Amino acid sequence: MKTLLRYAAACGGLLIAVAPVYWLLTISLKREVDQFAYPPQWFGFVVTLQHYGNAFRGGSFGQYFTNSVLLAALSTLAALLLGVPAAYGLARFEWPGHWSENIGNWILSTRMLPPIVTIVPLFLMLREARLLNSLLGLAIVYTAFNLPFVVWMMRGFFDEVPREIEEAAMLDGETRAGALLRIVLPLVKPGLAATAVFCLVVAWNEFLFALILTQTESAMTLPVGIASRVTQYEIRWGEMSAAGVVAMLPVLVFATAAQKYLVRGLSLGAVKG
Amino acid sequence: MRSRRIPAGRIPSGLPWVMPAMVVLLALSIYPMIYSVKVSITDATGAFTLANFTRLFHDRVFGAATLQTIVLTIAALGIEFVLGMALALLIDSLARARAVFRAGLLVPMLLPPVVAAVAWRLIYNPQFGALNGTLRWLGLNTAALTWTSGENSALLSVILVDVWEWTPFVFLLLSAGLQAIPTEPIEAARIDGAGAWRIFRDVTLPLLKPTILLALLLRAMDLVRIFDQIFILTQGGPGTATETVSLYIYRTAFRFSNFGYAAAMSFVLLAATMMFSRGLMRLMRAR
Repeated sequence: MKTLLRYAAACGGLLIAVAPVYWLLTISLKREVDQFAYPPQWFGFVVTLQHYGNAFRGGSFGQYFTNSVLLAALSTLAALLLGVPAAYGLARFEWPGHWSENIGNWILSTRMLPPIVTIVPLFLMLREARLLNSLLGLAIVYTAFNLPFVVWMMRGFFDEVPREIEEAAMLDGETRAGALLRIVLPLVKPGLAATAVFCLVVAWNEFLFALILTQTESAMTLPVGIASRVTQYEIRWGEMSAAGVVAMLPVLVFATAAQKYLVRGLSLGAVKG
Repeated sequence: MRSRRIPAGRIPSGLPWVMPAMVVLLALSIYPMIYSVKVSITDATGAFTLANFTRLFHDRVFGAATLQTIVLTIAALGIEFVLGMALALLIDSLARARAVFRAGLLVPMLLPPVVAAVAWRLIYNPQFGALNGTLRWLGLNTAALTWTSGENSALLSVILVDVWEWTPFVFLLLSAGLQAIPTEPIEAARIDGAGAWRIFRDVTLPLLKPTILLALLLRAMDLVRIFDQIFILTQGGPGTATETVSLYIYRTAFRFSNFGYAAAMSFVLLAATMMFSRGLMRLMRAR
């Protein structure tokens, strides 16, 4: 009896967690008449894919989607290229006194700045540099945003690899960089992949920077595109929901793939900016 | 940490590895901060002024936004902790299908926040939304349930969305914490005849304390800067009922183009965040 109650409670929680997402999905698949029907049609409605077509083929969501993909890929790559060597440097080299600790803490503290605090000067700086409304400008900002996270995640993974392995390789004539690339990185590959996934998700989900730094159709990201449809006078529920469903699918897939590292990543501020 | 003497004048050999990242962070995090200070203490002619800071004290909207941010943070934090803890204990006690429940419960926090907020707009809509529609269908009178469009219910509605979205986060961290604590003390207490509540209060809770603190600090830091959900759900309205500090800074800077005042307000937010992040750093070092 007690067990039964427990499962019932767990199912209730699950239902609450999933129902809003399911509702979004149904709205994206319903004809307009059914979207506003009373009673609400949770099941058994006529399925149509017209909103997906309207949003992505006819509308501008295709462009936003491409922008989001490019942006996530570019900024993740840049953050890894800068962050992995930094993490390695902090994990492996001799540092005087508390340097390694202090530098690490300072790097992490930049991640804790609320975005709204740096957004005003960043906006003015990018305007000066003529990088407003450009994917490059936003990619640079996202790189800086993800960088502390990469350093901390990767430093943890490097710490788990015994030093002796590289030292042996270096005795055999490998350089430092060679040892990192050919010996250590292959050993931390799952960690590296998880780190990359979290960076991709952060860049993909991010809203505030994108809202302020890209205001033209050609540079808009998926979240900003979706938001711009909400705040207009007439809400196109179908197209907006279709775009929402498309925006959430990659995140769910990626996050599930990196589930093993989710707790560690979240402790360092992954997923949400 | 081992401390080694390095001959004076020698550059630590790791520095070239760390330098590029530090330069980027200096340019894109620290420099903007300094720039922000400058913007906040100069007026239109470039002269020094503290007007942006004195204005904070008699700005009614800023006062309301601060108060609402505090209420929202405390309320959401409290509810998320209680629910997250209950869920973690509940799922932990199940014999089967734990992975299924866990995966499903995590969905809300993985969504792009904008998508989550959009879903809730569709649900909250007083006329066509799924919530009122379903309640009416169940026989309830929903005329008074205005959710995000009601002056009195808007803030609560926003809090509920945050609870829905981020309880999974607290649940996940606590759940991982529960799995990591040793089982012997709990077994020993049970053998000694302690009840479930006593075991939870006197054994589980103290052992979980670091994890609980971590979860609460991370949530608090996110809550004081809340923006995305409110921007989509209410834009701070009706009136200023759901205005928060982040939202007000956004409007001051990018609707009213008053960058100086926006920068001044952002320092208040920064101070609050620093308070939390200090605690967080200490916690991480202790690990």
